[in-house]
Amino acid sequence: MLKGKVSLDVTNLDNFEYDMSKCIKCKGCYWVDHIYMPGVNFSTRCPSATRYIFDSYGAYGKMRIGLAMLEGRMEYSDELLKTLYACTLCGACDVGCKRNLDLEIELSLEALRIKAVKDGKGPMPAHKKVAKKITEKHNRFGSPHQNRNKWLTKDIKVAAKADVLYFVGCSAAYTNPEIARATAKILNAAGTPFMLMPDEWCCGNMLYSVGMIDEARELARRNLEAVRKSGAKTLLVSCAEGYRTWKVDYPKMLDISTDDLGFKVVHLTELVDELIKQEALKLTKPVDMRLTYHDSCSLSRLSDPWTPWKGERGKWGMVSPGLERRRGTGGIYQQPRDILNAIPGVELVEMIRMKENAFCCGAGRGTQEAFPDFAAWAAEQRLFEAKTVGAEAIVATCPWCKDNFARVARQNGEDLKIYDISELILASIEG
Amino acid sequence: MTVKSKLREIVGPDNFSDDPEVLDKYSKDFSLVPAGVPNYVVKPKTVEEVQKIIQLANKNRLPVVPTSSMVHFNGAAIPKQGGIIADLTRMNRILEIDEFNRRVRMEVGVTWEKAARELAKKGFRLMMPLAPHPMRSAVIDHLEREVITNTVYDYGEPLQSMEVVWPTGEIFRTGSASVAGYPDSPSKGANPSGPGLDFYRLLQGAQGTMGIVTWANLKIEYMTTVDRVLFAPVDDLDYTIDFLHRILKLRIGQECLLLDNTDLAALVSENWPDDFEELRATLPPWTLILVISGMARRPEEKLKYEENMLKDIIKNEFSEIQLDNNLPGFPGMGRKLLPLLRQPWPKKTPYWKNRYLGGCQSIFFITRPGMAPQFTDMMEEVAAQYGYPVDDIGGYIQPIEHNRACQMQFDIFYDPDSEVDVELVRSLYRDAISVLASQGALFTRPYGELADLVYESATGYATALRRVKKVFDPNNIMNPGTLCY
Amino acid sequence: MAISKEAYKVLEAIVGDEYISSDPVVCEGYRSGPGGYEAGLGYERVMTKVPGCVILPLTTEEVQKIVKVCNRYKVPYVPYSTGWYGPRSHCHVDDELLIDLKRMDDFEIDEKHLYAVVGSGVIYSQLQEEAMKRGCYIIVGGGGSQCSAIANMLGDGWSPLSYRIGLPHRRILGTELVLPDGELVKMGSLALQDDPFWGDGLGPDLRGLLRGFTGLRGCLGIVTKMAIKLLPFQPEKLEPTGISPHTSLQLPVNRVKWINFTMPSKESMKKAMFEMARAEIGAGATKVPIFWRAIAKASCKEEYWDIWSKESEETIKDFHLLRVLLVGFGSEEQMEYEERVLNDIITEIGGEARRTRPSDESWFKNADSAGMWLMCGGYVSVDYVIETLEHALPHGENYAELKKKFTPPLMPDYGDPGWFQSFELGHQGYSEFLVYWDPDENTDGVDQFYLETSKENIRKRFYTSLLGPHQPLYLTGPAYGPNYHKWMLAVKDEFDPNFLSHPPVPLAHDEFVERAEWMRPMKDWKSPKLP
Repeated sequence: MLKGKVSLDVTNLDNFEYDMSKCIKCKGCYWVDHIYMPGVNFSTRCPSATRYIFDSYGAYGKMRIGLAMLEGRMEYSDELLKTLYACTLCGACDVGCKRNLDLEIELSLEALRIKAVKDGKGPMPAHKKVAKKITEKHNRFGSPHQNRNKWLTKDIKVAAKADVLYFVGCSAAYTNPEIARATAKILNAAGTPFMLMPDEWCCGNMLYSVGMIDEARELARRNLEAVRKSGAKTLLVSCAEGYRTWKVDYPKMLDISTDDLGFKVVHLTELVDELIKQEALKLTKPVDMRLTYHDSCSLSRLSDPWTPWKGERGKWGMVSPGLERRRGTGGIYQQPRDILNAIPGVELVEMIRMKENAFCCGAGRGTQEAFPDFAAWAAEQRLFEAKTVGAEAIVATCPWCKDNFARVARQNGEDLKIYDISELILASIEG
Repeated sequence: MTVKSKLREIVGPDNFSDDPEVLDKYSKDFSLVPAGVPNYVVKPKTVEEVQKIIQLANKNRLPVVPTSSMVHFNGAAIPKQGGIIADLTRMNRILEIDEFNRRVRMEVGVTWEKAARELAKKGFRLMMPLAPHPMRSAVIDHLEREVITNTVYDYGEPLQSMEVVWPTGEIFRTGSASVAGYPDSPSKGANPSGPGLDFYRLLQGAQGTMGIVTWANLKIEYMTTVDRVLFAPVDDLDYTIDFLHRILKLRIGQECLLLDNTDLAALVSENWPDDFEELRATLPPWTLILVISGMARRPEEKLKYEENMLKDIIKNEFSEIQLDNNLPGFPGMGRKLLPLLRQPWPKKTPYWKNRYLGGCQSIFFITRPGMAPQFTDMMEEVAAQYGYPVDDIGGYIQPIEHNRACQMQFDIFYDPDSEVDVELVRSLYRDAISVLASQGALFTRPYGELADLVYESATGYATALRRVKKVFDPNNIMNPGTLCY
Repeated sequence: MAISKEAYKVLEAIVGDEYISSDPVVCEGYRSGPGGYEAGLGYERVMTKVPGCVILPLTTEEVQKIVKVCNRYKVPYVPYSTGWYGPRSHCHVDDELLIDLKRMDDFEIDEKHLYAVVGSGVIYSQLQEEAMKRGCYIIVGGGGSQCSAIANMLGDGWSPLSYRIGLPHRRILGTELVLPDGELVKMGSLALQDDPFWGDGLGPDLRGLLRGFTGLRGCLGIVTKMAIKLLPFQPEKLEPTGISPHTSLQLPVNRVKWINFTMPSKESMKKAMFEMARAEIGAGATKVPIFWRAIAKASCKEEYWDIWSKESEETIKDFHLLRVLLVGFGSEEQMEYEERVLNDIITEIGGEARRTRPSDESWFKNADSAGMWLMCGGYVSVDYVIETLEHALPHGENYAELKKKFTPPLMPDYGDPGWFQSFELGHQGYSEFLVYWDPDENTDGVDQFYLETSKENIRKRFYTSLLGPHQPLYLTGPAYGPNYHKWMLAVKDEFDPNFLSHPPVPLAHDEFVERAEWMRPMKDWKSPKLP
């Protein structure tokens, strides 16, 4: 809809006709913000366009393709599905565009995937497999549901009831127990009681991300009710993808605002940063390491809170009522850095592409599942960047990032160490 | 009607000649380019006359060789295939001096002497190459890309828009002079480029092969308010060139150049030949000359900060440079040199290149400044092979635009009345250009036999040039036998 | 729509199957759509096509081979670096090959000799950063730092930073051009050696074929490599700060400073520029049209319109803002000197300094990326001219009047549509004005206004950059030169007799006028039947 009633409802691609038709190919979605441009190397932040090169893989191409889909000028094909899905929805394009034009690129891309699923063409076969696992086993690995809390060790104190509910997530529960343990121990050390979900299910990140909105919404309703029932005031996560899913996608799917969830969604780094500044947590043990910090997309540029909006678009493309756009400005950029700088012995060197210019690890939002080569390639780019700045280790705030980096580092025989921030925080507490 | 009678009709009988004595004057110049006799000489006064001459030439497939100066050093105006000399020295009006936009529009026949004199009356100057001959055409020297001594202006070339008569006979204005009715227009002709194609580029360095330019707009600069001429004796050319890389990026100064003892002596000597010999023997091998100046406002303050910059850099980075107001042992050198840098060569004084032995064959090319010492060595080696005294070679290095490149010039002096000398210098020249070119000397202005050397190595470029030439001059009447045509 | 199978096979063998496609999805991604320039106007709808095939070469040799194959099989093609220029850099005919040059991103830099060598895939912001790391800088053309450096150097290429240097022509050094028949011409020093440091030709300068004030849009070949002159800068870092969208460069104010001055009149701004040039100070001087300030203040489109709608002819006519850039190229002392001189000038003329942020959002690294499209989603520079300051002021005033007749659909500018600047230390002056419209409303008036500006320039004897391929060639041709079009077409015919290099440019706008029914009534000039 170019003029007239419009909303940010991603289930109707019509809402993004304006955005898709106004892309001027400035490629702010592709290049690092020009103010921060580092030169001829490490100059792009769109993994898809950098990898696949044809314009169709950048947001500038996808907007044109999306418009063609809306107008019925584009038939589904393998190439079309690859164009839509070989993309981590990392938000670099969205933030880049909003530097210049304020078009809703991310939402358009989500809406296109939702349309593809609705039309019975998407998602990718690999996604359907994972969706089945989520349905049957409530986790994306298809592992036994009853093993979800196996990560717990005896030395971890879990409260029966607390203001803080730690949502562990599939990765920390099954494949990255070190993150769950570290998070729990940090909370214990800080004297912050926490509870767990009585019956934690997958947050549905992948389902939403690949366009399976009906399934995702059902899961969201179920999960939301469970948290509300628990009486938690804060939902704590240690996974960036989970963070975004809860904080942004749940309200989006349910047509409410982040504030309306009834509890705060907080990432471990937000909490720890606050605790350090309040002196409720002291990081005293040295961790002697020259490391670099990878801004996980879902914690940084994708994490501005959600407010549903509907209104009208009129002359000059202006909308009313006023709309405060999510531009990635409010992302969690500084807190992880402050935490790392507070750890004695850590020498933090920045990546060349950092904060809202960070180059996605390649794993998220359905990419790892359907395009493992692409995910590996993206991780390789980032590992190379880390080595270029002389880092011995990369620290992330998301098990998806950590896993992907670690897998590729192993495959390539790299000696770069890969950590989740929770591990280093804990190391500095316990030694 | 014969060609002769038509030409007489076009320019008037007083402005036509086929007198052998007159033709002979146009058949040679100060260069070593072999003589070539024209059939006719005409001196048009207006662009319409020029147009008719060209139309006539086209009809009769007669070559046309334009010339605007009374003095030539490169052989470009010597006819290779006979034809008509279009001598434009009568087209010598200064058409406008535009003070607000710092622009002068003048016909090609305006000499350096006239241009400098008239501009000075209004407080302006024209960027100049080193001590140009006063009777040369200022417009043509810029059209031929003579390198200027001033290094401070980022925008380099002074040439703006111009009027040309194409070889097919159409009158055309380039750049922003192309608007209908120019100069009666808001457009002043300050933009050289367009319309549609950058015609001005095709006319630059063309040696009259692409058409006849009748007037041009050129940028002019204000005269300075206060000047200080600084000198540094140079033993180590590499070191000095590094110094120039450092300071010229700071936009210091106005003129900046390096002259060897021979060329500097040739320029400043007053009592010939004694002064010259003494100076040549006692001047340092090379001298760096840097003029710093104050402009319209707070001129002394400008001088002060530039001097401070220089002092700091010399103290901290280039302690061996002895930059001073005077050249040690040569009092008054600054006073002598400044007018030579700001004015064309004085009309009444024999030209500095001709004063020593009468003749001078210059070899000039573009190169990276750091290559200058090597090229100097090469030149000396070639000269030695011919028994040519190295002391008789003048050297001149002209930094260009922050010293990103330079023009290197060797002046080979000789007696033009001695056949032996002439032949020796001709052979030496031929060898030298070949050796220098093979080591990367960039001859961007291929006069005379340089053209063969250059275009045989740049065949792709030559082919493209010929294709362009075909469009503008399908009958190849404009100065044929020149360049690669 | 696709190119012939035979041609495709041969092209595939040149680049490998990974770098060529005629898949409809891939090709749709190369649809013109709106562009940086002329977003959503009739030209795009009428003249552009989706390519029949897209190819991505890596080297000059591959480009040559591709072009030769196109000549063999009569495949029309268009060179494409970023596609940023909008409709005019896209395919215009059916079954056309789009040659996407983004893989050609080689880069070398020689700061001692002040040049960088780039391939077509390198953009300005990359080049600027590499230059600044080494104490140099470049002019980022007004088209923005996302422009391909080569494409913009050929096409437009100036900004307020051109105060000292003006036209980009002076900054094009050794260059490689693949001619429309696939032959390679190396220009400048590249013609003789493998070193592109020098630009002037061997004798006549074939850089004359690269552009003609503004560019030829790829109708006379493909530039694959260019050495670009760098300018010496100063040593302190311009520090990037802020989180998107509020990013900017923090300026080291002892060496780099913008200062805004309120001036009593437009004439006084011209005088100030004149005096600055006479004193040979400064690194930039531009009038600031008030809508730039509204853009800078607004955090979104709606806020922009809220601010803008409160302005009027009354408020605008007495608002005169001059923005001056000072750079201490040589030293702090030099900067202080220039600031003293500048203050002398401004005081004499009756201006007053305003508080100015010690930051640069736009000109050094960004240029035009920051918000020029935010207001309406599209704009076009309806005219932009480098001439003199004396040309610039009446040019702007004249267009303010003409523009009123086309407002709406144009955005109201309250009589102040553009700006002017000083170039080449006052030897040249620059004027430009932009027009904005709502791309989702009837834009016929905008197309007509665009053509009307051409006619007005002819009537009033203004020079303009919108010659050659920009406006109908048979309209502007007889008026400038005269008959520059004759030479353009003759050169085109010599080098591209098959008319394969980006057809129908340079006659594209002529064609547009013929095809678009709302344009046809404006045709009051003669032209032969178009090829």
